[in-house]
Amino acid sequence: MVPFTRDAAVRLVLARLALLGQELGKPALAQADEQTRLFGEASPLDSIGLVTLMADLEEDIFQATGRRITIADEKAMSRLTSPFRRVGLLADHIVELVHSSHA
Amino acid sequence: MSVAIITGSSRGLGRALAETLLAEGWIVHGFARSVQSLAHPRFQPHVVDVGDEASVHAAVAAVLAAAGRVDLLINNAGAASMNALLLTPAATAAALMRVNYLGAWHCLQAVGKAMVRQRAGLVINLTTVAVPLALSGEAAYVASKAAVEALTKVAAAELQGQGVRVNAVGLGPLDTDLTRAVGAEKLAVLNQRIGRPRGTLLAEAVDFIAQEWRQPTSASGTIRYLGQLT
Repeated sequence: MVPFTRDAAVRLVLARLALLGQELGKPALAQADEQTRLFGEASPLDSIGLVTLMADLEEDIFQATGRRITIADEKAMSRLTSPFRRVGLLADHIVELVHSSHA
Repeated sequence: MSVAIITGSSRGLGRALAETLLAEGWIVHGFARSVQSLAHPRFQPHVVDVGDEASVHAAVAAVLAAAGRVDLLINNAGAASMNALLLTPAATAAALMRVNYLGAWHCLQAVGKAMVRQRAGLVINLTTVAVPLALSGEAAYVASKAAVEALTKVAAAELQGQGVRVNAVGLGPLDTDLTRAVGAEKLAVLNQRIGRPRGTLLAEAVDFIAQEWRQPTSASGTIRYLGQLT
């Protein structure tokens, strides 16, 4: 299998955000980039939107890599810099999870 | 074809629910700690300890790999212990929380994600009339089921926006292994208090629960109790 790269993770997150944007009526999500905030007042997502993004992404990652991961794991929740703050940080976290998971 | 997961499906109410769903054309995946004797072409048994997160997540992944979706989750697996509060070992309280509350928690988390992806699904959590009655002699059991009821309400609020409904159904005593250790006199008093002096047959309990999937409604976060609570 082709190694799962950070670029691939960013593409997955952005593609899923664009789809969510259509579903939620928030077209701005189609313009997201690595700096886009995923929670907080500056984020276009509310808490339910963030949960939905994570649930959808876990399946997207499984389809792309054959690996089942849990994005909101204990390590992620205890980090000083939350991996859910921005798209780029989330992509870093996903790559780490995929590489440390078992097929 | 619709797909259901039932926990505690090896016997009693869980098995009766599985048989009912199979009769109505569902594909049923049954979770139980022991080997299951129910044989049906649309029934798939899984050996699962619902109190163990890894065990639940592995089983749900297996269901999703086989069926691709889950339309209905019934958190039925449960344990009970009758004893006065001051005489109940802490280990008993912990064991009941593990099966009754954490079991529902683990299944809800694992299946809930799949349902959010589907933007549809129904979760039915089993509780007991002993919660609103604050039944003496069942502190550990009642507390664990009260936690299930609280979980039901929060889960409903969080998931309703994605088409996932989470409700709870509370029953009185049934003639199953769960109540076998309870004295007949105590059961009679309890049945009287809930307005069902003749008791509740297993089939009546199944019909009461089945209203959740047979009668489509948008209600979520509801807790229905069988009988008239006084």
